[in-house]
Amino acid sequence: MNLIDKSKNIRRKIIEMAHDSKSAHVGSSLSCVDILTVLYFDILKLEPWENRDVFILSKAHGAMALYAALAETGIINENLLKGYLKNDGTLPAHLDRFTAKGVEVSAGSLGHGFNMGLGIAYGFKKRNLKRKVYVLIGDGESQEGSVWEGALFGSKLGLDNFTVILDYNNLQGYGRAKEICSYEPVRDKWEAFGWNTAIVNGHDISALRQVFKERTKNKPNIIIADTVKGKGVSFMENKLEWHYYIVTGEHKDKALRELL
Amino acid sequence: MRSAFINKITSEVSKNKDIFIISGDAGLGVFDNFKNESPDNFINLGVAEQNATGFAAGMAIAGFKVYIYNIIPFLLYRTYEQVRNDICYQNLAVTLVGIGSGVTYAPQGMTHYSIEDIAIARTLPNLTIISPADPIEAELSAEYSLTSKNPVYVRLAKRGEPNIHVDKNINITEPILMKDGEEVCLIFHGSIGTEVMDARKELLKEGISVKVVSIPMLNPINESLLIDTIGKVKHVISIEEHYIIGGLGSILFEIFAINKINNYELTTLGITHKFIHEIKDQNGMRKLFGLSKNSIVTVVKNILGYKIL
Repeated sequence: MNLIDKSKNIRRKIIEMAHDSKSAHVGSSLSCVDILTVLYFDILKLEPWENRDVFILSKAHGAMALYAALAETGIINENLLKGYLKNDGTLPAHLDRFTAKGVEVSAGSLGHGFNMGLGIAYGFKKRNLKRKVYVLIGDGESQEGSVWEGALFGSKLGLDNFTVILDYNNLQGYGRAKEICSYEPVRDKWEAFGWNTAIVNGHDISALRQVFKERTKNKPNIIIADTVKGKGVSFMENKLEWHYYIVTGEHKDKALRELL
Repeated sequence: MRSAFINKITSEVSKNKDIFIISGDAGLGVFDNFKNESPDNFINLGVAEQNATGFAAGMAIAGFKVYIYNIIPFLLYRTYEQVRNDICYQNLAVTLVGIGSGVTYAPQGMTHYSIEDIAIARTLPNLTIISPADPIEAELSAEYSLTSKNPVYVRLAKRGEPNIHVDKNINITEPILMKDGEEVCLIFHGSIGTEVMDARKELLKEGISVKVVSIPMLNPINESLLIDTIGKVKHVISIEEHYIIGGLGSILFEIFAINKINNYELTTLGITHKFIHEIKDQNGMRKLFGLSKNSIVTVVKNILGYKIL
């Protein structure tokens, strides 16, 4: 099965979870699916498990994407998805590392997973391990000061085993990121902080596969991924309201038809 | 007290390479030797406390035994959410080493005092809280933290506090009976212990029998042992360099109420619940807030109905 089919499967799982649980954050989850697909099916070294690469979803409100990806890879049992956001269920809306294998850190408040990822990457280096750390942050999330504190120290420490993916969908909780607080020139900022930078279409599977393999020694990496919130479902794409909207039965049927 | 704690940790590094100390740009003179001798076990993560705290959690996930060293407000208040979510929620082996308990830093100003840290720390499940009174309790706190696999918060003073214990044969995880007595029981935590011990001496001269209990570990507390230790003494006085709200004063009220114990008359001494604008050193502050030896003596005599000369 090729990765485009994998990404469709993950999106279908997200739509079903969102409908089943009446969960918000569908758009946020859909925007990072292709990135997660490439990471879990091509980039992350997952065997042996105790020596795996670590992926952290720092924008943890996109948790459905992570759960769906973990189920698609078989790291967690697909049945766990049925208990997402349910009373006495299995998986919470934001990440709790004690709930499922593959949830590497607990997160939900923005600007936390990034810094924990730095500490893990530094720890791996200290132990002379080849393990790598990947952290996905949102563009709204990068308004957090903690991200920029970490950006300073990530390069100072030469954490070339650390890669950040910026899910740049330009839609945060209550408006366009560019209007609330423009990040531009975002690449220049990270360059100035001493990071190896790349810009990629965050939905182009082959471009993503390529960009993850480009690394520079002694520098941490950031991949600025241009993405579309709600990607893959035409009526959700680039719509602010799909940060919160609930997927009705009608929405679900329409979305799943598009994801065949 | 600070050196006793830090020396214990740093001397352990030769045996345990997983110990790692993160400083938030604090500790000049404290780590000078250590960072030269063990550069692989120390990093200064600068004036960036949010990052340092999340980073520490990450290192603990990677298997390290992590210590974060900083002045208490920057260690615990600036980073409350990181301490809550990254360290305590994930139940990681990170020890927060806080410097400047109470008004140790006076007269540096309110921003540098930590008179509500226990109140804040008590809200966090999984977090063990230790407030040592002297170098002996501090060293034993360090020993405790070295074996703990969970989050620990230690609040330390740094003004060359003398030992008030005679030997190390004490258990800092429990209330410690320091002196027995019958008329009044003084319970304290932290470096105010010197004032308490001096007050007891003074009271003894006047024939007043005073029990003294140190309670270095404020969470968790062995409640039944605490009640047994207070015993039959009617008048209980808590003394702390901290607000009474959320501090030992609150803790005792809660323990007595929850355990339906009403045979004690509790008096709580602590820092008045206000922002401090007065410019005084630590001793001046203790006098101002009624925590000095003389104040304690006066309170005890008042409670017992002695005529104050």
